[in-house]
Amino acid sequence: MILLFSGVVAVLFGTGAFLMLKADLFRVVVGMVMISNAAILTLIGSGLSRGAAPIHPLPDDRLSDPLVQAMALTAIVIGFGVTALLLAIAYRVYTSHESVDLDELSREEVRRERELEREEISP
Amino acid sequence: MTLLVLPLAVVWLGAAALALLDGRRRSVGWAAVAVLGANVAGLVALGARVAEDGRQELVTGNWPRGVGITLAADELGILFAVLSSAVLLVALLYEVLAGVRSRTFPSLVLFMAAGLTGLFLTGDLFNFFVFFELSMIPAYVLSVYGEQARRKIGAAFIFAVVNLLGSFIFLISVAGTYHVTGTLEMRDAAERLADAEPASVMLIAVGVFVAFGVKLGLFPFHFWLPPIYVGATPAVAAILSGALANIGAYGLLRFGAALLPAELELGARALVVIGSVSILYGAMQALSRRDVREVLAYSAIGQAGYILVALAVGGRVGFFAAVVYAVVNSANKALLFLAAGLRGWLVGAAFVVGAFSVAGVPPSAGFFGKVAIFQAGVAEESIALLVLLFVGGALSFVYMFQIYQHAFWRPEAAAGAGDASPAVLRGLTLGLAAVIVAIGIWPEPLLALSGGAADLLAGAAGGGPR
Repeated sequence: MILLFSGVVAVLFGTGAFLMLKADLFRVVVGMVMISNAAILTLIGSGLSRGAAPIHPLPDDRLSDPLVQAMALTAIVIGFGVTALLLAIAYRVYTSHESVDLDELSREEVRRERELEREEISP
Repeated sequence: MTLLVLPLAVVWLGAAALALLDGRRRSVGWAAVAVLGANVAGLVALGARVAEDGRQELVTGNWPRGVGITLAADELGILFAVLSSAVLLVALLYEVLAGVRSRTFPSLVLFMAAGLTGLFLTGDLFNFFVFFELSMIPAYVLSVYGEQARRKIGAAFIFAVVNLLGSFIFLISVAGTYHVTGTLEMRDAAERLADAEPASVMLIAVGVFVAFGVKLGLFPFHFWLPPIYVGATPAVAAILSGALANIGAYGLLRFGAALLPAELELGARALVVIGSVSILYGAMQALSRRDVREVLAYSAIGQAGYILVALAVGGRVGFFAAVVYAVVNSANKALLFLAAGLRGWLVGAAFVVGAFSVAGVPPSAGFFGKVAIFQAGVAEESIALLVLLFVGGALSFVYMFQIYQHAFWRPEAAAGAGDASPAVLRGLTLGLAAVIVAIGIWPEPLLALSGGAADLLAGAAGGGPR
């Protein structure tokens, strides 16, 4: 079970890292989401016991570790929040540059730097 | 005990309340200053208590120790908490005096203060992550604050993504720590990590190092930093480099020295190399730039290298140097970024105090930072390290004064910048410069607190004085 978990985490993290290296902003966001989910799965996987849900424990029940579930829940909320923020930033990039391609953005950046330098040298 | 909760509660509730109001109104701005002032005052009172009675601890919700979330204040935490909140207060005051340009600015600064206060005063690993995120999210938003948001948004996106990646790697390390030790309480975890299987602890240590390296802007993780610092308004740049970067220094000290001392010692050589590369790379890049903020941004990368080198030297001397240097550096950077945005009479004087402090010339606070670093270098008994520290210091002297000349002495620069800035802003910056000189003249409180923090870390590391 732990092996399966770690396999899933590895695939998720790897896919996320791969997507983050893309130039397309929304792919980067999706990559971020996958990495955050890999972290959350790691949290769940780090639980110290396995068993029934710890809602109404009876003395001889085997229970799953409630602490990691609480942590995972918090991490999901945080991950959700930052995803919303990232999407908002990506949308602002789109509305102001009419492009979601990071390569294009950096080309524009270089062009502007050159202009600035030229202004600095010429007068 | 209420003293431990009060600074956090005040600023958190204040931030939530002010988020509903329009921050551009002067009254809201001043309310935010008052709330943050109360936070700083509470932290200073808590610091006085810590200096007197030692570590203060509180388990929330009256749970038994080990079950509830711990809030704890020791010398290291309180020092960084006071420092960060004070820098935030100065930056907020600066922006309120200059005129706030966005409705969310005051409450975002307060949210960041809440996150930083909680982060420095928590004794719980997962809680650390939560506060870490709480202080980072305002930073992502603040990085586009001010005019020309269009030009900054691309850099802000990269800033957010890189730092989020760091955060989640940290979260994975927290999960690993919990799995290995079965606790989230920092002190229990430190005890149990010492007996845990070294291979898995090393993985945790690497994750933690990457997370805080990103935050501090160390050499291989630095690429997000210059565009953000260059684009940010003076107040935001001061916040990012003077308050937020403390997370990196504090995290490396707390996790490296207190939680993972064996791994720190094992990786010391690698850390010295990374730190040295950071110092040289930052200095070289700073030397080749002409824009004040760009120089300061690369200088920040170089200064982070000193902290890492001191940490890697280890022992009481090394930790002492790292703490003093981190504190002094954050004050310097706040002053320099604020002064760089101003023009007029006496601004050059404030800037030059900051420049002297970065270069480590007495009677500025930076002198004691440099002395402590050199002591660490001597303790390490490595000629190469001493030469490196000397070269780094000399280079910082050169680039700081090169940029000072470029920005303040050229007639075109002085004429082209337009009118002088408002007198209150210049007064505030000069006040901050006076504080840095005052620390340089009367350094005992800082040195005593840093010494306490270093004793604590060296005690946890089991090293004692070297």
